[in-house]
Amino acid sequence: MDTIEIGLWVTAGLLVLVVTGMRVAFAAGLAGLVGLVWIFWAKFGYDPERFGKALTVAVKTAGQVPHSKVASHTLSLIPTFILIGYLAYYAGLTRALFEAAKRWIAWVPGGLAVSTIFATAGFAAVSGASVATSAVFARIAIPEMLSVGYNKRFAAGVVAAGGTLASLIPPSAILVIYAIIVEQDVGKLLLAGFIPGAFSAVIYGLLIVGIAVVFKSVGPPVTGFSWKQRFAALPGALPIVAVILIIICFVYNPFGDKAWGTPTEGGAIGAFIVFCFALVHGMRWPEFKSALLETAKLTAMIFAIIWGVLIYVRFLGFADLPGAFSDWITSLEMSPMLILICILLAYAVLGMFMDAIGMLLLTLPVVYPAVMALNGGETVSAAESAFGMSGPMCAIWFGILVVKMAEFCLITPPIGLNCFVVAGVRPDLSVQDVFKGVTPFFIADALTIALLVAFPGIVLYLPSLAG
Amino acid sequence: MAGHATVLEDNSFLSRLDHRLLRLERIMALISGFAVFGLMVLAVVSVSGRNALNAPLPGYVDWIEQAMPLIAFLGISYVQRDGGHIRMDIVISRLKGRALWLFELISVLLILLLMLALVWGSWSHFDRSFDFSAPLWSRDSSIDIGIPIWPAKLLAPIAFSVLCARLVLQVWGYGRAFVLGLEHPVAVPLIQDAAAQAAAEADQFERRT
Repeated sequence: MDTIEIGLWVTAGLLVLVVTGMRVAFAAGLAGLVGLVWIFWAKFGYDPERFGKALTVAVKTAGQVPHSKVASHTLSLIPTFILIGYLAYYAGLTRALFEAAKRWIAWVPGGLAVSTIFATAGFAAVSGASVATSAVFARIAIPEMLSVGYNKRFAAGVVAAGGTLASLIPPSAILVIYAIIVEQDVGKLLLAGFIPGAFSAVIYGLLIVGIAVVFKSVGPPVTGFSWKQRFAALPGALPIVAVILIIICFVYNPFGDKAWGTPTEGGAIGAFIVFCFALVHGMRWPEFKSALLETAKLTAMIFAIIWGVLIYVRFLGFADLPGAFSDWITSLEMSPMLILICILLAYAVLGMFMDAIGMLLLTLPVVYPAVMALNGGETVSAAESAFGMSGPMCAIWFGILVVKMAEFCLITPPIGLNCFVVAGVRPDLSVQDVFKGVTPFFIADALTIALLVAFPGIVLYLPSLAG
Repeated sequence: MAGHATVLEDNSFLSRLDHRLLRLERIMALISGFAVFGLMVLAVVSVSGRNALNAPLPGYVDWIEQAMPLIAFLGISYVQRDGGHIRMDIVISRLKGRALWLFELISVLLILLLMLALVWGSWSHFDRSFDFSAPLWSRDSSIDIGIPIWPAKLLAPIAFSVLCARLVLQVWGYGRAFVLGLEHPVAVPLIQDAAAQAAAEADQFERRT
């Protein structure tokens, strides 16, 4: 049996483990370890006396992965972003944001729903948690919308869709993870997410206004806020804007030549601002301790998947499976764009069954090299490439597309998680109600993804400015 | 956000052990949380030092690299206790009773096997950089200011050993549930659907604010 066959068998075993409910981090680590033992033993000609030697080499190879891969300066961005998220919970940012957005925007048709979208976008971006954001706003925003006569399904759809804006607008832990796995510039990826994220929020906003203008009873405007009230609501929302802007400025400074620092520093300054705000808002030791514990938990979970998958990747390197998969993909007699669309659709299906982080980490080691090969290789120039962009730009573009797909899955019938969550939090709404309400946003998202595929410039404009 | 605690407790010996280990796990997770906070403070000091005093923090990157294993590993067992590690539960959430406990038992046994191997592997990784006869017991050190690397490497086998202890308890818990055909076993995480989890999270959040 050659190494590629071993690679295929072990990967099939990994899939069985994952589907039958083994924790992804450990399933990947186990597959990697078993694969390493198998490959080394095969090299020794399956000699029973040398099995012990193969096992020892495999265990020592796998055993150095956790420390050597985790002790990295770039990876420190992930816990910092997570800390921002948990501190944001205690800084009272949700209600403050919603209140500010409401006072400024609620006067347009469907204005309260547009406010909800902007508030969820801001909070989801900073907290990085799509599902939790939908759960929280289902409690805050839906009752307010219903009290002024909004359609129930529409209100639920708005909240479910709003939560999906978490992963693109900086700070985004998932984009950091992508950048690390595919070894690309973290700063440029964070920058690249901003326009597509803001673009999605604006599309949602325009869609809501359009629906509210056509169907007058769906989302009536709310008036009566004075300018004084409007300005009074602004300070509460400032930390969110500050965090997003600071992270962008630490990667690319629009006001001068040099960026302010590294993304890690930007994340830390952002966390510090939210921390101060939480202190002012009344966070004390019990809340602070709980924020630290939650941060530690989510961080340990994400890092476990990272090193687990990297053990598997170490094995894949020996088996040369990614190379074989790339060769197969590029030998297909289909246009590269069609293959890319098929890959994105496969993510749409997979994302319904699995958390975005687990899905990306498990699939990227094999899929990413294939996509790069489709474009013409890591070092290809824009003129010679299949998608009309250089290798590094293709890596950024593909990253934004898969992360957007993962978010899209959260509102895709029949198992979009955000819709189940909104229905779970609101006993007066059935899952069908939420899915019906979210349909316009689902269609808008599909169109947004099509636009991002057709016009990569939307994604690549900011990173190209950063040089 | 990470999963919500759904572990039942009673007065049995297993549950008391679970509780004892939980105390250790919580302390380790808290240390990890403080390390994240320390990372933030370090970066703020470094940025303000560089911009305000033109004096960057010496060895800033070295310290971060030393702190990362603290952050990445120490909470791992605490997450396993609550069943917070990501998994695909589309198949397993449809199972009930003995079938469910059997699947969970096999899965936890396999994880235990992996982690025992990784305790061995990560220990030998540590062992290569540790030497009693060398200065600071260290055979290798960080690039910029020369901090010994062995303490950071030691964290992996320590955290993985605690995880192994947790897994042994879970093997016991699921094994007991399987043999006795229990409906609500103690000391193991029970599956909660996403909506219930989110509702609990939103509840918790509303109490806080």
